[in-house]
Amino acid sequence: MKTISEKILSKRSGVDAESGDIVAVPVDLVFAHDGTLPLAIQQLGGQKVKDPKKVVAFCDHASPSPSEKVSNVQALMRQFARHHGMDFYENGDGICHQIVLERHASPYKVIVGGDSHTCTHGALGAFATGMGSTDVAAIMAYGKTWLKVPETVSVEVSGKMPEYVHSKDVFLELLSQITADGATYKALEFCGEGVEAMSVESRATLSNMSIEAGAKVGVCAADEKVKAYLTRYGRSNEFKALYPDEGAVYTKKVRIRAETVVPMIAKPHKVDSVVPVTELEGEELDQVCIGSCTNGRIEDLRVAARILNGHRSKVRLVVFPASRGVLLEALKEGILETFLKAGAAVGPPGCGFCIGRTVALGDNEVALSTQNRNFKGRMGNDSSFIYLSSPSTAAASAIEGRITDPRNPKE
Amino acid sequence: MNIKGKVVRVFPGDTNTDEIISGKYKYDELDLNKLAKHTFESVDSHFYEDCHDLKNPILIAGANFGCGSSREQAPQVLKACGISCIIAESFARIFYRNGFNIGLPLVECEDISKDVTQGEWLEVDFDAGMIRSEHRNKEYRFKPIPQFMQELLERGGLMPYLDACGGYTD
Repeated sequence: MKTISEKILSKRSGVDAESGDIVAVPVDLVFAHDGTLPLAIQQLGGQKVKDPKKVVAFCDHASPSPSEKVSNVQALMRQFARHHGMDFYENGDGICHQIVLERHASPYKVIVGGDSHTCTHGALGAFATGMGSTDVAAIMAYGKTWLKVPETVSVEVSGKMPEYVHSKDVFLELLSQITADGATYKALEFCGEGVEAMSVESRATLSNMSIEAGAKVGVCAADEKVKAYLTRYGRSNEFKALYPDEGAVYTKKVRIRAETVVPMIAKPHKVDSVVPVTELEGEELDQVCIGSCTNGRIEDLRVAARILNGHRSKVRLVVFPASRGVLLEALKEGILETFLKAGAAVGPPGCGFCIGRTVALGDNEVALSTQNRNFKGRMGNDSSFIYLSSPSTAAASAIEGRITDPRNPKE
Repeated sequence: MNIKGKVVRVFPGDTNTDEIISGKYKYDELDLNKLAKHTFESVDSHFYEDCHDLKNPILIAGANFGCGSSREQAPQVLKACGISCIIAESFARIFYRNGFNIGLPLVECEDISKDVTQGEWLEVDFDAGMIRSEHRNKEYRFKPIPQFMQELLERGGLMPYLDACGGYTD
């Protein structure tokens, strides 16, 4: 009787694996970006890439390049990708995780990314985990990696989320309960009617944030919604249903009653320093940021635009769609017009504000962002302060210029 | 394997990779020795110099050391600072893997960060799973590092190890 992680790793390693076992598995996709690929290239040291079709490179973190040094590093990546004949996503194509969701990830795949938020792809039933540049280099050279089959923490989301409450709030609530190292070395497996009711995009937010609890992966079952998602991107042939076995063994079970979750916010400088938005209402802000691999999908932009419609942001508002596809959808749906009329600076698809390389905060400034991390200095300034929230809370707060509960939108 | 060195710092729990090396530097500097000058810059501006004044500096930390981003630059700059070994209550998963992959010894020992202070001499015996503090006349046990991981350290990291073994054995 196996968990989702045990099922994937057993199938892919060819060994009947259970938690605690160490297995060598072929890697179906390995990717890295402008923050991690250059070091992987150095570590590879001129060795041959075993199967370039399984390697993908992205320029998304410092994109479009803000300096000559970054441009030179990106040129090195471009040359490497061309030399080996691998897929290369350019400045403006979008965040690696969004593109992998749209074009590469599917159930039962083993995916390794040179980025901690690679766990995002658990939303499509993949075993997807972040590793460092040397692991990426080793996979490029040998096509395999070693993994310890993780123990699994089951996270059941029961019931229905209230209006203006999102999967981001559910995860922040979970973090407040299990803390930033509550799932270290473990898998999180999301289940329950609350998860079944969520779109793949909302599930991707749960999977994406799993690393913030230290988890190796954050997986969801591959159900009809996953099938519909893959079909939408022309990849229905990659669908395979995937559920945990009845009687699978979990190291811990956590239950979150969705109907009781309220809009939540993480305070500087720790992701698990979480309180209800109501406790911080009125705190003044300098910048509101909507986007990132956590909440930069079309669903997130729709939620924010619905609240912003007809209003003007009282603070600097920056919006970075997660991918070119998301930006195109936002354009067609009139969402971009709403953002522009609300006074937003809309940036090109990419990581943007989240890592402070192309958009940085000033001294002592306070930002509210839909991203996943609020570490000191994360947004490019060591003296600034970062709060984390859902797109609804971010949009409602932009209108007021201060932290605002989205459940009381102004007319 | 044995390491004898002086404790250069004791960091608290949840020390993250953004603190170890800020994201603002890693996109345009490929030279890890130059990048190392910014190690812990936002929280501890003398870290780099203090490491260079010591032989085999040892870093002590609380739980979940190295949480956050997968950036391998974090263990790389610590290695470039001369850190000989990190002893923490626990490590974040990706950092732990990265450490061994680049040949930087990491030891998980639950009680030590509450006891040990900056400037103390420690001796780490990897085969015995033991840390000795002469100053305190005390020994701390840790779970010995698995053979495979010790081999990674002896070879200098994952790439030299795989090169020597010709890849993964099936």
